[in-house]
Amino acid sequence: MTTVLAIGFALLAGAVPAARLSARVSALLASCACLLLAIVGFVTAGHWSSAHVNLGSWIGFGPSALVSDRLAGLFFALIGVTGASVSLACVQRPLRRYPAALHATLLLAVAVVVGADQGFLFFVGWETITLSLYLLASADREDPRNLIYAFFGGSLSKVGGAAILAAFALLYARTGSFEFAAWQHAQLGGLRDVVFVLLVVGFGTKIGLIPFQSPLPLLYAAAPGATSATISIAFNAALYALWRIVFGMLAPAPMWWGEALVVLGGLGALVGILYAVTQDEIKRFFGFSSVEHGGIVLLGFGVALIGQAAHQPKLAAAGLLAATLHLVMHGIGKTLAFLAADRVATETGQEVMGPLGGLAKLIPQTAVGFGVAVLTLAALPPLGGFVSEWFTLEALLQGFRLNSTIAQLIMALGGAMLALTAGIGLLAFARAFGGIFLGRARTVLPSLQVLRRLDIGVALLTVICLGLGAVAPWEIHLIGSGLQDLLGFDLSTTTISHPLVLGPVYPNFSVLSPTWLSVAIPVFLITAAVVVRVLLRPPVRTAPVWMSGTYAHTAAAQYTPEAYAHPIRVVLAGAYGLRRTVTAVEGEDGTRQVETHIVAAFEDLLYRPLGRFAVRTSAYVRRFQSGRLGQYLLYVLIVLLVVLALIPALRS
Amino acid sequence: MNVIRRPSAASAGLSDHGDAVVAGAHVDQRWLPVSLVDLPEIAETLVVDGARLVSLFVAHRPRRSLVVAFALRGELISLRAELPAQGGSYRALSRFSPAAVIPERVLYEQEGVTPTGHPHLAPILSPDVDDFRRNIRGESTFVIPYGPIRSGVFETIQYVIDTGGEDVLSVDVRPFFKHRRLERRFEGLSILHGAFLAERVSGPASVAHAIAYSEAVERALKLTPAVEVQSWRVVHAELERIASHLEVATRLAEDAALAVGAARFGILKEDVMRLRARLSGSRFGRGAIVPGGFGTKPIIAPAEVVAELARFEDELRRDRKLLLDTGSFTDRLIGSGTLDRKTIDAYGGIGPVARACSVAVDARFERPYGAYRHLGLRIASATAGDAMARLAVRFEEIETSLHLIRQALRPRRRGEVIPDGHLSAPDANGAAYGWAEAPMGEVVYWVELTAGKLSHVRIASPSLRNWPLFAESFRGDVLTDFSFIEHSFGLSPAGADK
Amino acid sequence: MIWWILRGLRKGRVTTGYPRKPEPAPVGYRGRVVVRYPEAGVKAYEELCPTGAISVASYGRLALDRARCVLCGACVGAAPETFAFESDYRTAARTKPALVVGHTARTEDDSARATLADQAGALKRSIHVRHVDAGSDGGEEWEIAALTNPYYDMQRLGLFFTLAPRHADVLLVTGAVTPSMTEPLRRAYEAMPFPKAVVAAGTDACSGGFARAADMGGVDTVLPVDVYVPGSPPAPIALLHGLLLAAGIVTDEAAA
Repeated sequence: MTTVLAIGFALLAGAVPAARLSARVSALLASCACLLLAIVGFVTAGHWSSAHVNLGSWIGFGPSALVSDRLAGLFFALIGVTGASVSLACVQRPLRRYPAALHATLLLAVAVVVGADQGFLFFVGWETITLSLYLLASADREDPRNLIYAFFGGSLSKVGGAAILAAFALLYARTGSFEFAAWQHAQLGGLRDVVFVLLVVGFGTKIGLIPFQSPLPLLYAAAPGATSATISIAFNAALYALWRIVFGMLAPAPMWWGEALVVLGGLGALVGILYAVTQDEIKRFFGFSSVEHGGIVLLGFGVALIGQAAHQPKLAAAGLLAATLHLVMHGIGKTLAFLAADRVATETGQEVMGPLGGLAKLIPQTAVGFGVAVLTLAALPPLGGFVSEWFTLEALLQGFRLNSTIAQLIMALGGAMLALTAGIGLLAFARAFGGIFLGRARTVLPSLQVLRRLDIGVALLTVICLGLGAVAPWEIHLIGSGLQDLLGFDLSTTTISHPLVLGPVYPNFSVLSPTWLSVAIPVFLITAAVVVRVLLRPPVRTAPVWMSGTYAHTAAAQYTPEAYAHPIRVVLAGAYGLRRTVTAVEGEDGTRQVETHIVAAFEDLLYRPLGRFAVRTSAYVRRFQSGRLGQYLLYVLIVLLVVLALIPALRS
Repeated sequence: MNVIRRPSAASAGLSDHGDAVVAGAHVDQRWLPVSLVDLPEIAETLVVDGARLVSLFVAHRPRRSLVVAFALRGELISLRAELPAQGGSYRALSRFSPAAVIPERVLYEQEGVTPTGHPHLAPILSPDVDDFRRNIRGESTFVIPYGPIRSGVFETIQYVIDTGGEDVLSVDVRPFFKHRRLERRFEGLSILHGAFLAERVSGPASVAHAIAYSEAVERALKLTPAVEVQSWRVVHAELERIASHLEVATRLAEDAALAVGAARFGILKEDVMRLRARLSGSRFGRGAIVPGGFGTKPIIAPAEVVAELARFEDELRRDRKLLLDTGSFTDRLIGSGTLDRKTIDAYGGIGPVARACSVAVDARFERPYGAYRHLGLRIASATAGDAMARLAVRFEEIETSLHLIRQALRPRRRGEVIPDGHLSAPDANGAAYGWAEAPMGEVVYWVELTAGKLSHVRIASPSLRNWPLFAESFRGDVLTDFSFIEHSFGLSPAGADK
Repeated sequence: MIWWILRGLRKGRVTTGYPRKPEPAPVGYRGRVVVRYPEAGVKAYEELCPTGAISVASYGRLALDRARCVLCGACVGAAPETFAFESDYRTAARTKPALVVGHTARTEDDSARATLADQAGALKRSIHVRHVDAGSDGGEEWEIAALTNPYYDMQRLGLFFTLAPRHADVLLVTGAVTPSMTEPLRRAYEAMPFPKAVVAAGTDACSGGFARAADMGGVDTVLPVDVYVPGSPPAPIALLHGLLLAAGIVTDEAAA
C-alpha cells in the first residue's frame, strides 16, 4: 500500500503543474490519484495493511512521513471518493487552467494534512489549504465582491493559522519535537486548556465554528465552478485535525471541553440553518448548510469528549461514531450538492434560486442529483443523513449516564437544538429543491443549455448517497476499525447487535435498521404505485391548476423560495433583525416596491468592529515601520530578549 | 291612496326648477348649484372641512348634471353641476379624496363623464378574471389571486394579494364580478316593482335597501307613511341588522375553529331568520316594505315578537360572554386589521367599521329618517379600530337594535287607520334622496320619477365605500389573519355591485 | 372550551327531521306561488309580474313560471283570487318545465338528466358540494351557509361543502351568471371529476330573475343543470331538497 500511496501523492503533485498544459489532463491525474488514495484509505482503515511514505528529515523540524493508519485511512477514503468525483466532473466540464491548478493544489494539501505524521508537515499542508482557498475565491475577478469575500475568508483563516501555529509552538516547547507520536504523551499541565482553545479556534475557522461561521459560505459562493465542491472536501481536513489532535493527543480532556463544543455545535447548527433558510444564492445556501452540519458533527464530537472526560469509553464511542458517520454523510452529500449546484449554474446561467423554478422536467439528471443530495442533507429516511442524525441524537440522549448535572443539561439542550435544526433543515431543503425544480419557471431564462451527458462524478456520488443508508452496518464496521486506535476498542462489536440492526453503541437502548428501512420504504412506495396504477386504474383527466377560477399568472402565483422561508423569518424577526419597507414607486399608480432588510447580527456586532480594530491597529503599527535599519535591529533585539525570557518559563 | 299626508314633515326634494325645496323645521339636506369648473374646488373645501363623500352620480332631473353628495354635520350637501348632453369632464376629486377613486371610475365607465387627473382610470365594472395587475415589486414577492371562486361558501369577489410569504403587502379588491347592472334595471319599473328590485340588490341588506328606496320615493312625492308603517320598518330593519351581525360572529367563530361557538351563533342567527319569516313570510323581510304603506302586514302580533326576542336576548348574552372570554378567539381578533381615524376619514368609512374607530357615523343618528326620529338611539362605538373592536361594536348594536324594536313595538294610541296596500301615483314626477342605515353602513338611493315610473335610480352602496378600507387595514397582518379581518368587516360584494 | 361544550349540550337537539319527516313552513311563509284558476287569466296579469313569470295565452290560459318568479307577491296582492302563496319549503324540480304551474301544455317529453346516483351506478359515499356564486345578491349565500348550522346540519345526510371543485360532486350555483363570472363558472365545472351534477339555487340562477338580460339568463345558459331550486332566496330546506334531489336520495319534486 505504501507504493500506492506514494503514487497517489505523486500523481496529485503532478496534477498541479499539469494544469499549465491542460486542465482536463490535470483533472484526470487528480481523479486517478484520488482513486488510489481512496483505495489506500479503505485498506488501511480496515487495517488489512498500512502505508508509510518516508519523506526524510526537515532541517530543524525532525523526520517526517506521509502515513495512512486506521484513522487517516478513513479520511483518505472519504476525500479520495469525493475528490475523485469532483475531478471526474472537472474532466467532463473542465475548469480554466488557473482554478484547475488550484483544485489540484487544494486536494494535495488536504491529502498532506491527513497523511502528515508530524506537526510541521501538517502545518505546511494547512497553510497551503488556506492559501488555495484564498486564491480560489479570488480567481473569478469579474465580480468584485468575490475579492472582498476572499479577503474576508482569507484573513480569518490567517487568524486560525496563527492560532494553530501558537498551539504547535507550545506543544513543541513542551516536547521538543514536532512528531505527533511525541505530542501524544506531552505533559502540558495548565497549558492544556490554552492549547485546546487555540486548536479549536484554528480548526474552527475552516468548519465555520461559531462565531467564525460567516466567511465560509462566502468562500463557497466565490469559488468558480465545481471548485466549491473541492472546498467542501477541505472542510473534512479540519475535522480530521480535531479527531487526530484534539481527541487523539490532548486526552484526557476536562469535562468543560466537551460541554463547550456541544453548546457551540448546537448553536452553530441552529445559526447555520437559520441563515441557510434565508439565502437566495444556491452555493451560499449550501455553504451555510455546511456550517449547520459542522455544528451537528461538533455535537457528536462534544459528546465524545465528554465521554472521554467522564471515563466512559462507550459514551465517547457513541459520540465519535455519530460524528464520524455524520461527517462522512455530509462530505459525500455536500460534494454532490455543490456539483449539482454547479450543473444548475452551467445549465441555466443562474446562481440564485429566485428566478428559477420548474426545472425538474427540463434538466432531470441534475434534478435527480440535486434531489438526492438534498434528501441526504435534510436527513430523510432511509438515506445516510437520517442514520447519522439519528446516531447523533441517540448519543446526546445518553446524557443520563453522567454524574454531572451540568453535562446532562447541556446534552439535553444539544438534543433540543439538533431537533430544531433538523426541523428547519427540512424547510430549508424543501425550499431549495422546490424553488428550483418544482412548479413553474418564474422568469423566462435567457438561455437553457441542457447537459445531456451523464456526469460521472455526479452519478457516482448519487449512487453512494442512495446506498449510504442501506450499507450503514458495513460502514460502521469500517468506522469501528478506523476509530479503534482512538477509542481503544472496536465500537462495531456493541453497535451492531444483529447483522443489520444498529444501536447507539450501548446495546439494548434503541435500535434502527437502515438497511431494512431502505428496502421497506421503496417497496411500500412501489406497491402503492402498482396498486393505484395497475389494479385500480382510475380514469385520469387532466385539467388546469385550480386557482380560485383564474388561470392567470400561474407562475407568479407560486411561492418564491424566499417567500417560502419568510414565515420563519417573521417568527424569528427579532433574532434576524428583520425589517420590511414598502415604498411607492415613482410615477406608477399604486405600485409599490418592497425591500427586506436583515440585520446581520454577526457581521454588524462582531466582524465589522473587529475589522475596524484591525485596520486601526495596523495603522498604529505602521508608525513603527520607519525604514531605518537601526530601529529594526532594535526590534529584533527586543523580540530576542522576550523569547529568551519565555523559553525557561515554558520549560518549567 | 292610503297615505297620511303631512306636507310639512321633513321631506325635501328637488323641485323642477332646480332649487332646494326644504320643508319643515328639520333641515337634513342642502343643494348647491355650482359650475363644473368650480365643483372640484368647492368639493375640496368641503372635504377639508371634514365632509364625507357619500355619492357621486349623474342626475337627469331636472337636467343632466353631475351630483356630488357629501355628509357634513347632519346634512346631506349636494353639489350639482350641469353637464353637457353627452359626456363631460371635470377635474377629478380623487386627486385629493381617495374616497372618490372608485366612484369616479364607475362614473367614467357608466356615464361617460371623464374625471381628468384621475390616478387610474381603467374600466372596473366588468373585470376579467385573468387580467389583474400586481401592485408590489420585489424579487421575493408573489401574488395570490384569491377569488373570484373562493374557498368556502362566500360571495364572489376577487382579492389580489401580494405577499412576501406570510405578510400581506398589498390587497387589491376587485368587487365587480357580480355587477348585475341593476341601477339600469330600475328604469321603467313601477314604484311598487322598484321596491321589489331594491330589496334584491343586496340580500343581507334587503330591508335597508327597501327602506332607502321607499324613503326616496316618499320624499319625491312629499308624503309620509303612517306611524305604524314606519315603526314596523324599524322592526324589520333592526332584525336584519341583528341577523347580519350574528352572521359576522358565526363566521369569526368558524375562522377561529370554534365549532361550538359557530354552532351557537348559527342557531341564534337562524332563530332571528325564522322570526323574520314568521313576521313577514320571507326570511329576508322581503315584500314587507314598499313606498307609502305595508307590503305585507305583520303576520304575528307585537307581543309575540317581544317575547321571542326576550328569549333570544338571554341566550345571546350567555354566548356573547362565553365568546369574549375565549382567549383563543379574542387573540386572533385583537390587533388584527387595525384602522385609524385618519384613514377612516380619508376614505369616508361608514358603518360598524368606522364606528369601531370612534367615528360616530350612523344615518339613523345623523339624519334620522322614518320612526328613528322619535326613538332614542345610542351609537355604539369603540376606539381600537381592530377586528375585535368591530365585533364589540356589532354586539353593542345588537343590544341597541333589541331596544329599538321594543320601543317601536310599544303599544300606542290606536285609532289611526292602518293602511293596507301600497302606494300608487300614476302621474307623479320628482326626484329625491332616500337613505337608511344598513348593517354595513348607510345606503343612499337617488330616485327620479317620471310619469309615475322610475326613470333613473342611483345607489350609493355602503360596502363599496368600505372596500378600500379593507385593503388599507392590512398593516403588518399575515395571511392567516385574512379571513378574520374580512369577516370582521362584514361587507357584501353584492351590495357593492348594484 | 369545556364551557362551550356544556353550552352546546344545554341547548339539546334542534335539528330538523327532514327528509325523514316533512319540515312545515311557518304560517304565511312565501314558499311558492300557486295559480288557483289557470283558466281564468286576463292579459293584464302579465303586467303584474316584474320578471315576466306570468304568461296568459289566448282564451285566458294562465301559466306561471316559478323559474322566473321572485316571490315578490305583486300578483298575490293584486289578484288574490287567482294567485296565492303556499307555505311549503320544497320548491326544487329536476326540469324547467316542471316549474311551470297553472295551465301548462306539456307536449314534449322533458326528460331530466340522470341523478348522481344513476350516473355512479350506486351512491356509496358522501356527496361533496362546491358552491359558486355567479352573481347572487348575497342572500343565497346566507341560506347555503345556514345548511351547516345545527338546525339543518347537512353533514348528517352525508353532504359536505368542499373547497376545491376537484373534490366536488355537486356544483351549487347561485346568481344570474354575470358576464364576468361565465368563464370562472365554466372552469369550475370543468375542474370537477365525473360524475357531477349542477344545482341552480335561487330564481336568479334558474332564469336570471330580476337581473335577467341577454347575457344574464341563469345557469342553464352556461352549464347543463340537473336541479332547479327557485326561490328568492330559497330557504335552507329548499336547498337541502334540491341537493338530495340531485343526488337521487329523494325523488319528490315540487308539486305543480
